[in-house]
Amino acid sequence: MDKRNQRQVRKRGAPSLVADYKLLPGVPDEMIDAAGQIRPSWAPLISALEELGHEELGGRFERADQYLRDAGVYYRKYDGAEGKERAWPLAHVPLILDESEWLTITHGLTQRAELLETIVADIYGTNTLVQRGLLPPELIARNDEFLRPMVGVRPASGHFLHFCAFELGRGPDGGWWVLGDRTQAPSGAGFAVENRVATTRALSDIYGEMHVHRLAGFFRGFRDALTGIATDGRVGILTPGQHNETYFEHAYIARYLGFTLLEGEDLVVDNGQVMVRTVSGLQPISVLWRRMDASFVDPLELRYDSHIGTPGLTEALRQGTISMVNALGTGILETRAFSAFMPNLCRALTGRELELPSIATWWCGGAAERQHVIDNFDTMMVGSAFATGLAIEDQRGTVVGGALPEAERQALRARLEAEGGRFVGQEQVQLSTAPVYVGGKLEPRPMTLRVYAARTRDGWTVMPGGFARVGSTQDSTAIAMQRGGQAADVWVVSKQPVERVTLLPTEGEKLVRMSSGSLPSRAADNLIWLGRYAERCEAMVRILRAYNARLAEISNTDQAILKDTRAYLDGIGVDAEVPLPPGLLAAIDSAVHSASQIRDRFSPDGWLALTDLRKTARSFSQRVLPGDDATRAMTVLLRKLAGFSGLVHENMYRFAGWRFLEIGRRLERGIQIAHSVAWCTRKGAPEGALDLLLEVGDSVMTHRRRYAVSAGVNSYVDLLVLDPLNPRSVRFQIAELYQQLEQLPGGLEDGHLSMAAKAALTLDTELRVTEPEDMTTSKINRLGIEIGNLAGLIADAYFV
Amino acid sequence: MLYDVRLELHYDYKASVHGDRHLVRVAPISIPNAQRVIASSLSFEPRPEQETTFADYFGNLVTTIAYAGRHDHLDVRLSARVQVEDLARPVDLSPTLGGLKQELATLWSVAPDSPQHFLSASPRIPLALEITDYARSSAAGDQSVYATAMDLCLRIHRDFSYDKDATKVDTGPVEAFALKRGVCQDFAHVMIAGLRGLGIPAGYVSGFLRTIPPKGKPRLEGADAMHAWVRVWCGQHSGWLEFDPTNAMLAGPDHITIGHGRDYSDISPIVGVLRTSGGHTAKQSVDVVRVE
Repeated sequence: MDKRNQRQVRKRGAPSLVADYKLLPGVPDEMIDAAGQIRPSWAPLISALEELGHEELGGRFERADQYLRDAGVYYRKYDGAEGKERAWPLAHVPLILDESEWLTITHGLTQRAELLETIVADIYGTNTLVQRGLLPPELIARNDEFLRPMVGVRPASGHFLHFCAFELGRGPDGGWWVLGDRTQAPSGAGFAVENRVATTRALSDIYGEMHVHRLAGFFRGFRDALTGIATDGRVGILTPGQHNETYFEHAYIARYLGFTLLEGEDLVVDNGQVMVRTVSGLQPISVLWRRMDASFVDPLELRYDSHIGTPGLTEALRQGTISMVNALGTGILETRAFSAFMPNLCRALTGRELELPSIATWWCGGAAERQHVIDNFDTMMVGSAFATGLAIEDQRGTVVGGALPEAERQALRARLEAEGGRFVGQEQVQLSTAPVYVGGKLEPRPMTLRVYAARTRDGWTVMPGGFARVGSTQDSTAIAMQRGGQAADVWVVSKQPVERVTLLPTEGEKLVRMSSGSLPSRAADNLIWLGRYAERCEAMVRILRAYNARLAEISNTDQAILKDTRAYLDGIGVDAEVPLPPGLLAAIDSAVHSASQIRDRFSPDGWLALTDLRKTARSFSQRVLPGDDATRAMTVLLRKLAGFSGLVHENMYRFAGWRFLEIGRRLERGIQIAHSVAWCTRKGAPEGALDLLLEVGDSVMTHRRRYAVSAGVNSYVDLLVLDPLNPRSVRFQIAELYQQLEQLPGGLEDGHLSMAAKAALTLDTELRVTEPEDMTTSKINRLGIEIGNLAGLIADAYFV
Repeated sequence: MLYDVRLELHYDYKASVHGDRHLVRVAPISIPNAQRVIASSLSFEPRPEQETTFADYFGNLVTTIAYAGRHDHLDVRLSARVQVEDLARPVDLSPTLGGLKQELATLWSVAPDSPQHFLSASPRIPLALEITDYARSSAAGDQSVYATAMDLCLRIHRDFSYDKDATKVDTGPVEAFALKRGVCQDFAHVMIAGLRGLGIPAGYVSGFLRTIPPKGKPRLEGADAMHAWVRVWCGQHSGWLEFDPTNAMLAGPDHITIGHGRDYSDISPIVGVLRTSGGHTAKQSVDVVRVE
């Protein structure tokens, strides 16, 4: 049968993808309408998927997953003390929304964002909403998210809210409900972009034909808005650091928008002005897009136990020198009980109804509301009035009355009667379903929609997309990713072709150049260590390879050269008796750890090369045997290390960041070579030590060529210490170090060299005028220590 | 009553510190009809590179100081002249506990002085069942909120021992309650926890207390101390009244107020963030001298 006929066969029969798609009773479905027909906006997608067939689809979806793995997209899942990195769970079939429906959502959320701004401005301003009886005082006075130090502080940008997310669900009547407002530090916008990229990897042809609205325009607008409120043009993203569940996304967004990724310790408040500690000294910053909860931002005036904050940030906010996006204290809007008051607040403040209703909520501080919740106890989701998460996601704090054992039911009812103000009841939502691809077929799963809104100069804009979260089962509460839910891309489709937007500058647009001096000191420090650990790994691997090669030839492990090499390795923390020594694995882990703290400055390829190295080394450690086997394993690791170095060397822009990485490598290589030369050329070194040295120093060929007739200890010292042209000599490292140090901020100013550059130049000059026969073992050892001292000088100049 | 107050806080750092920042809350505030600050000066040694003063949410005077350079000690010196009114002992016009709850239910205000802020747990005061149970026996019958507060104040004084070594500055009220020992801060925290547990708004007052030397003995320089007591919201009519559980009395003309908060953390004399490899030692001396 030829391909054309196959298609026809499929078309004649029931479409196999949706043949068994069974709608849940009483619940609307995104793909299938009430009459059982595929909705028109979905039809092109479904027929295209249908045509591709199971096998092709499997391959395409695998490509999407491969992309996510390659890009290193992960989130942290908390199931123990330390969260584990998990692959991003992409649901491959996008959610299709018609443009007209999107317009309804856009209008509703714009209204809501403006309303929220008015409310929060009142709470931190004149507090008339409480006086007018529109908000009960205890929801503010007893609320941990009410940050008293922020009362009376007007945001420097003029606005409290700049970026919000909303969780929407479609109810049984087909209309959208707002399940929750995210105003504290909404996460996930970067994941939405990665979702889009991954999904279009799989479905690029279909995507191209379906007139899907692009996301880049939204980000461009927001980026320009933030740059616009930055009085000095500098915008940073404030992250809690790599242990946060969405750190990947912080690094991703920083890279995507060209903002600096900062942690609390990168900042210092100087005379009321927030400054970034950079390699060029303190530099002012005026906008922080905050991805950490407000109370952690300042240990002095907010949470005293915060270790990730910056003392004095609150002071800077009082003085109006910095804009926080969003303002500190806006988290109070996420309070679940607020949903109960939104309809009234909207009417009172705007004279209109909410365009998108809030999920039906009753605050039990009111007598009538409390009674309603008690009367409908069995079908209500009852939780803390002050909870900020979604009720359907809150596994511990929110319960459905009917699901409780009798004793607990009684106890909860009693608490409702006694201290109703601490509780809210929410209607149990029946969410609409959307198709998920499971084992070659589509199945309906409950879903919620996360939508983002950003303030621009022209008012609020809503991202045409976002992501849909779909449940792992048909139970609505299994939507949370921590519980196995997945995320799908959202395609807002138009009937007409859509505008293509990118974040690249368009013609005539002013090109903004980032200055290389703005590298935060912490990032520079991590780059140096990354360079050092990578180089240290290489040194270890080279010696281990030489050792194991000899071990394979010599059966007697007591032979002098083997014992001597073991002793040397022992001195650098490597136990050569183990084929993959723990010391080596630790050095690789350290390299990965350093890299993980600067993901925003690091290409995904480099990261992938590094994590691949770690994976390989770990798997080797399970099975590799000493001798030949280990020799081969070391060769593989060496190749992978070279791959990493090559990627970095060839692809990293020569910014200050690259220089620090390079400095780290040169420092470590210089130290390692000096010590190994000193060891192998020392008096009493066993036979074969010099050969081993050449092999480790990758200089066998050169040595043979240059010193064919006059080989002796001096020739080894000459080649590996003094030779200016051998890329593995100590002098070569020092010359390179000097070059880099001179290029760093403050390296050479008005003819004056920095301390570190001076020290490097001094060493270089010394080596230039020294003859090999004068390089005694102790002098070579001394040289290694001097290079180590350079590292201290660099740290003093750039990292304090 | 006119007083001259002098306070010195002295910190010695074992290893020198730099890049540190502190909030200092030691300067008394003026309170209409109760206390007037005639003069007040606050100085620091070494001289901070940055210094600003502002009024915090509860109206307390806060001075922020910051140092970039290294220093091995910090001295804080306050001298102030304060007029404290000798107010008549209040007539008890407070409602019953039930009446108070009704008043609170219709009190639509979250102004900084609103009792709504002083009803629930705060950073240093959790609501503990055992303390609420202890407080409950002061609320038996249908007596007034004032009577309940006074009874609790007297009971804490009777049941607890003043013991400087039993607790530390970060000891919580639950632990102090179990020990039945502590200093003014502990007594105040326990009383506040008990009152809030009953539904009575209660807050923390930081200040100075004039000590009167035993008959025939001279007043010792620097022997006075910083002090803490409790204020209780006794209904719309009576407003905030102040009780001193350490001394089993209403706060009076010998109590000089620095400021108010929900608990110690809102009005601690000094909080700082610094990086150091060593610890520090602290000394404190207070003089309260009556001028007239």
